[in-house]
Amino acid sequence: MTHRYAISRRTVLQGAGAAVALPLLDVMRPFTEGADRAAITASESVANTTAASPRRLAYLYFPNGAASGSWDPASIGADSRLQKLNPWMAPLEPLRDRISVIRNMWTPEGNGHGAGTATWLTAGDFIERRIDAGGTSADQLAAQLVGDQTLLPSLELSMRGEGFFSNSLVRNTLSWTDRNTPAPRDVEPRAVFDRMFRRGQASRSERSLVDLVLEDARSLKRRSSLDDRRKLEEYLESIRRVERRLAFADRRLEASPKLKRQLRRPGPGIPDSHQDYMRLMLEMIVLAFWADATRISTFMLDHGQSNRYCNFVDGVKGTWHALSHWRDYDGKTEDDDGITSWSSAEEKQRMYNLVTRWHHEQVGWFLERLASIRENGKSLLDQSMIVYGSSLSDGHAHSEDNLPLILAGGGGGSIHQGRLIKPRRDVSMSRLHLALLQRLGVPVIRFGETTQPLSLA
Amino acid sequence: MSRMDHSNRLPRGLLVATVTLALANTLPASEPARPASITGRQPRPLDARRDILPWIAAYCSECHEGDGAEAGLDFEELLSVRPFVKHRDEWKNAAFLVEHRFMPPEDSKQPDETTRRKLVDWIRRQLSEFDYASVRHPGHEPARRLTHQEYDNTIRDLLGVDPRPASRFPSELSGTSGFENSANTLFLQPVLMERYIGAAEAAISAALPLKPTTDRQRKAMRRLLPVMPSSGTTDREAATRILGRFLPRAFRHPVRPNDIARYVDATLALCKSGATFERAIRDVMQAALVSPSFLMKVETTVAGRTPTAVSSHDLASRLSYFLWASMPDERLMELASGNTLQQPDVLDTEITRMLADPRSETLGTQFAGQWLGSVHLGTRIRADPIDNPWCTESLMSAMRSETAMFFVSLVRDNQPVTQLIEARHTFLNEELADFYGIEGIRGTRMRRVELKTPQRGGLIGQAALLTVTSFPGRTSPINRGRWVLANLLGTPPPPPPPGANELDEKLEEREQLTRRHKLALHRKDRRCAACHDRIDPLGLSLENYDWFGRWRARRRRRAIDASGRLPGGPAFSGPAGLRAALVKHRHDSIVDQVIRKLLAYALGRQLEYFDEAAVDDIRNATKAAGYRFQPLIRAIAHSYPFRYKQLRVESPFR
Repeated sequence: MTHRYAISRRTVLQGAGAAVALPLLDVMRPFTEGADRAAITASESVANTTAASPRRLAYLYFPNGAASGSWDPASIGADSRLQKLNPWMAPLEPLRDRISVIRNMWTPEGNGHGAGTATWLTAGDFIERRIDAGGTSADQLAAQLVGDQTLLPSLELSMRGEGFFSNSLVRNTLSWTDRNTPAPRDVEPRAVFDRMFRRGQASRSERSLVDLVLEDARSLKRRSSLDDRRKLEEYLESIRRVERRLAFADRRLEASPKLKRQLRRPGPGIPDSHQDYMRLMLEMIVLAFWADATRISTFMLDHGQSNRYCNFVDGVKGTWHALSHWRDYDGKTEDDDGITSWSSAEEKQRMYNLVTRWHHEQVGWFLERLASIRENGKSLLDQSMIVYGSSLSDGHAHSEDNLPLILAGGGGGSIHQGRLIKPRRDVSMSRLHLALLQRLGVPVIRFGETTQPLSLA
Repeated sequence: MSRMDHSNRLPRGLLVATVTLALANTLPASEPARPASITGRQPRPLDARRDILPWIAAYCSECHEGDGAEAGLDFEELLSVRPFVKHRDEWKNAAFLVEHRFMPPEDSKQPDETTRRKLVDWIRRQLSEFDYASVRHPGHEPARRLTHQEYDNTIRDLLGVDPRPASRFPSELSGTSGFENSANTLFLQPVLMERYIGAAEAAISAALPLKPTTDRQRKAMRRLLPVMPSSGTTDREAATRILGRFLPRAFRHPVRPNDIARYVDATLALCKSGATFERAIRDVMQAALVSPSFLMKVETTVAGRTPTAVSSHDLASRLSYFLWASMPDERLMELASGNTLQQPDVLDTEITRMLADPRSETLGTQFAGQWLGSVHLGTRIRADPIDNPWCTESLMSAMRSETAMFFVSLVRDNQPVTQLIEARHTFLNEELADFYGIEGIRGTRMRRVELKTPQRGGLIGQAALLTVTSFPGRTSPINRGRWVLANLLGTPPPPPPPGANELDEKLEEREQLTRRHKLALHRKDRRCAACHDRIDPLGLSLENYDWFGRWRARRRRRAIDASGRLPGGPAFSGPAGLRAALVKHRHDSIVDQVIRKLLAYALGRQLEYFDEAAVDDIRNATKAAGYRFQPLIRAIAHSYPFRYKQLRVESPFR
């Protein structure tokens, strides 16, 4: 049983925490091959004692799409083998055999910066008036059905927004616990770290105290109207989940008192450098997957219509959303900032692509991190299923078919990687979700409108 | 030109209803009554089932039907809803889109001109002829959690320390509802629950450390733990006295003796298992701070199928979260316990007292900040600090404070609501005054300043509001025009129809034109003109303010042309002209908008068609007093929906 696994996993952590200095978890340090390898070998020897490795699922979302052409591999061999990616995808070239490029896939119902973001993982349409995304998102469905095996059912992360729409619900919500309820996202690395590795002092609270507030809720529920009862049920559900989480945290900390000291807690707030910030957030996912704190995560590399200044990328000026409208280069549309202009559409498109490539670099770094960590003789990447992509294709065309998508990781030996997955006709992303959910062990035979999982073997 | 304005539309997003409460004057009035037919007889009135339904079936239902209806709108079904005005926003939009030929889409079957006209007129008539006074329903919102701001304030007023733990909670997202306190966006997810648990612990340790060191802590100790076990006092007696006082305050209503006993028992159980009394009582108080009775606004009055007056304690909470965004104080609780708060004169006295209290600043920082949008400055709207070293945190903070303090000053001085537009004072410190080019203000303290320059005065001209309606680095006449129509006047233009962008893009190819020219060309297309004739001239009159609200006489070496025009009204020039025109010609809209916004904030929900009667009551009650703020706030507290609740039979929204 997987639950038994979770216990043995704690033994692993205990062993690892005791045996090595864990530079691997030294989250503030840049990736250094040598140091990590040493740690990996050490933890691998411990990890070998476990019987099975769980699969993990992550969705990495980026906004504003990618220019047409920038997502097409340069050369494809027999059996759709990826032989060469294109220059814009160069940062992923070393990982070519461990990823698949997906083409001709889309979300037929909700599209664009707002609805496309909100429904990327739900297969529904988005009705703003009712705050309705048409269904529970794939990650939350998994969290609800198999998330009870880990400390946290799932982890929802996002880069802190900048500029317009930064607190727009629709552009900041990928995950829905049901069709009407958005899951909030953490933007501060320390807060994420603390959820996984710090024992909230509240866990000291005894059972009797939890009973106290549960009884408050039940007693209110008995005396209230139907609407109120639903809200109190929401409260009860939250308490139950947190309670379970605290029980997990307690047991693990008992098992590994040293773990807390070995891990370096990120500083408070948001790092100044955008790259440091993004890598630290990605590192939180690596850490979560490594420690088996959760097996399900989503990360918004920016909100659905990011107007962030991308001047931090060499050779780029202007905001991301403006760049995505690359055919308007005179700097005079309402999307522009009035300061930045470009000499040609080609120049602007190049900058748009440079921003895409910059994100490939970060995601490539993340995939390498997963690949470098061993678990039962396999890498963490081999055990994972990472979807990386957007809800728009070319930002200027605002087109919604043929979304830029990459699927990385071996899915525990269940995914044949290194391919171009290009169905002849547009297929719904629901089929990808279904295929991944089933691999994660989620007992679903239908997702959204489909009962046919995409073939990945 | 306005791709950004239009980009938040839904996929093939037809008829997406603005949830901003649209008013009767949102759209051009229906055509004047048609002349009688040639024979002199009145034309036969159209009937929904006999005449309208077949048209809808013929021209709309192909897309707008059943479960997968476009934009979630099934018009055949909506047609059967009673009263018709229940979906007035959707219908209003539909009439607009049909009238201006956005609907049915070009590639669909089109009605002939007469049918189109008849359909539009029929819809408008149903909306305008409805007798809103015939519906009296106080409405009802389910229990909701406190907003982060309310949470921090309540902790402060309950414990006497101000750790503001909610500032590190996942940020509050706003849906379409305008105010953060709307129940429909306040979810209580496990991630938040974790934070509440941590925050409760932090708050209790901040207020009641086991070894108090500061005066504040010693004071909190005396107040929260007035008695400790001693030779004459048992653990049970001490716990009963402490919790008997603490729990009703924390829960904002009387707590039944057996509920207090449960908390006392838990304290004693902890003591029994080895904890000291000092530790145990803190743990139990900490638990109370994650009780639903603390975290949520759960009213003791249960809504039923008939209207019920809310209890005096519920009324106290409604009042304190309205005026203070925090819990009721001792005095309100006493009046509630004595059941006197409902008495009109007592209620009025309390409102006057509460408005004079510093806690009513939240009417500026929360209510006005969210209504007008200034809360977004510095958080989601800011200048790139590397290229704009002048754009400091302190400047943006002063800009936000200006709007908040200005609003509160009008309330405290009991000014007429039109002073929002024409007041001749504002609040500045040295940095903001320098930014405005106003001399003689020294120091960081914000203070009231009487204005001599016509460049500033009233909300129009406040930098925070001019910035949040601009794009980074450049102004947006469209955003500003829309802000005036939607936020100030409550008459938002309809959401952008499908296909609006294509025309913009063609225009973009024509360079060498001023923005005013481009917008004018844009309006030549009659479909665009339907809205932009109303939006653009308002925004263009504010072009003397740059994107961060600084005054400028010229732009790109050309003198600014700040001429503008009210929709269907007179022409004017510049911000001073706009102010005068608004006060003269849009007085009623401004009054209505202030009433509606305050009422929605007070109720923590969006207004519905059945609230129209209450809006009328409030308007009538304050007319004689010249629509001054304090009578208006009093009238809201006396209004039917504020004092009553009733279950909604079936909610179309959930």
